Amino acid sequence: MSEKLYAWLLRLYPSRFREDYGEEALRLFRDRARDERGFFPRLRLWLDLFFDFTISLPSEYFHVPAPRVAPLVPRRLHGFPALFVLEDASPRPGALAIGGLLSLVALSSCWASLSSVRGRETPSASQFAGVPDGYKSSHSESRPAAPSVAASDGNRAPTQPGWLDPAQRKRIVDNAITNLKEHYFDRDAAQKMADALAAHEKRGDYDTVADPAAFAALMTQQMREVTPDRHLTFDYFQEPLPPQPSAQTAAVSPQYREAMKQQNCTFEKVELLPRNIGYFKLNSFPDPEVCRVAAMAAMTYFNHADAVIFDLRDNRGGSPEMVQLIGAYLFDHPEYWYNPRENTTEQSWTRSPVPGSELADKPVFVLTSARTTSAAEQFSYDLKMLRRATLVGETTAGAAHSGVFHRLDDHFGMGIPEVKAINPYSANDWAEVGVEPDVIVKSADALDAVVKLARSKLQKK
Amino acid sequence: MPKRTLDPLPSAAFQILLALVGEDLHGYAIMRQVAEQTGNRIRLGPGTLYSSIRSLLENGLIEELDSQEDAGSDDERRRYYRLSSAGRKLARAEAQRLAEVLRVARAKKILRGRYV
Repeated sequence: MSEKLYAWLLRLYPSRFREDYGEEALRLFRDRARDERGFFPRLRLWLDLFFDFTISLPSEYFHVPAPRVAPLVPRRLHGFPALFVLEDASPRPGALAIGGLLSLVALSSCWASLSSVRGRETPSASQFAGVPDGYKSSHSESRPAAPSVAASDGNRAPTQPGWLDPAQRKRIVDNAITNLKEHYFDRDAAQKMADALAAHEKRGDYDTVADPAAFAALMTQQMREVTPDRHLTFDYFQEPLPPQPSAQTAAVSPQYREAMKQQNCTFEKVELLPRNIGYFKLNSFPDPEVCRVAAMAAMTYFNHADAVIFDLRDNRGGSPEMVQLIGAYLFDHPEYWYNPRENTTEQSWTRSPVPGSELADKPVFVLTSARTTSAAEQFSYDLKMLRRATLVGETTAGAAHSGVFHRLDDHFGMGIPEVKAINPYSANDWAEVGVEPDVIVKSADALDAVVKLARSKLQKK
Repeated sequence: MPKRTLDPLPSAAFQILLALVGEDLHGYAIMRQVAEQTGNRIRLGPGTLYSSIRSLLENGLIEELDSQEDAGSDDERRRYYRLSSAGRKLARAEAQRLAEVLRVARAKKILRGRYV
């Protein structure tokens, strides 16, 4: 009875404390209750608990997890002044005002410099096959599709360089319709989208949209109103596109290669956590042509780990080949690896076992968030369907089909999914709905939760 | 910037560090050891004990060991803690600081009679 009461009282603590120490606290209570029998000892126990609550409960709610930094010892050396100002004293109002002003200036200058180099950002791993590397697109995901925002009188001549006139818009819409009907894997849906775009054009819905980026956003939105497919995109590129879609013929671009070199293939963390748990934070699945060795080195590093955590919370996708390359380490026999970009072929099986890999029977965890997109969702989805990993975090973004890039003119292109692969696991993949984790926790708390889970799983082994 | 919860070192945290000098202990054993070394004056409740343990862990002053079987507790696995070298240094520094306080108190003759 008293244990139940204490267990109930424990619920007053913040969830973080309960997750970390709830069980231990209950055990301590049990131990004391076992050892301290009789009226007075029991009364003392409850008094102790009462004082414990009054002291520890508020402090738990104000507890800010400390970063794991170098230990704070020993600073009390004779003859050294104690400089605790930054930590213990509240900032003066004047200091806050100056700090705010300086932040504002810094932010404005960042904004100004970002605006001036728009269109020349570091190339990143393409989210759909065949997008020209190094070209920054702008569509509905980066900009709201609100024609009124960018409205100008489209019937007049363009008011700014690069803005669209009616003839240009008509040509682009026609071009988009042709490409959709020719390439989109679902012919019926393609026809419906084409009809919708033609109807919008005829009704004059584009007449007020001269800003090319807003136009692209509106087109994307209107296609998706008919077919909610997040890999179906209509993109505007400020920099003129190369005459031919380079990535469909050539391999990776020098810019991409250089960016991967600078960013360590987007492998943010490759480390062993306490209790021999491997932790791999990768923010994309980079092209194996550039990053094969780095990926193999990372997986080899984890070879003797007792469990591996893949942190995909900031992973925006990338190459399905890399997804498969990493996945192969986790099996001792070839497994079918579902890829929405391709029909089933011989390539659809993992190259397992990887010689020398000892990871095939180790517990695997995948951290997900609402930002986990595309190829990262493929990795999560396949491991979940194969019951090879425990997913912890939030439901993923829900971007499944992978569009092939089609160039419409110097500044516009489309990502059009051309195949719908057969999914052996279920009728629906993660398109639009995302991959649901096995353990749902907020993305920010997912790492703590998964470490605890991994430890308890290892203990049970 | 979060205030460091162990600066100055709270009494409970110091007692836990002292309890762990010489042996690795689990939570309940730490609580009993602290009660013993303070003449039953400090009986750490679970909330205070584990929030102190967490702060000590976060600051690298103690370490959590890989799980150990506790022979007396029907297959329950307990979490054991060990003093780190940083924790030992801090405990020593804190003891020296208290000794210094004691020296001043003695010099001021506020202890009256009993020699402490």
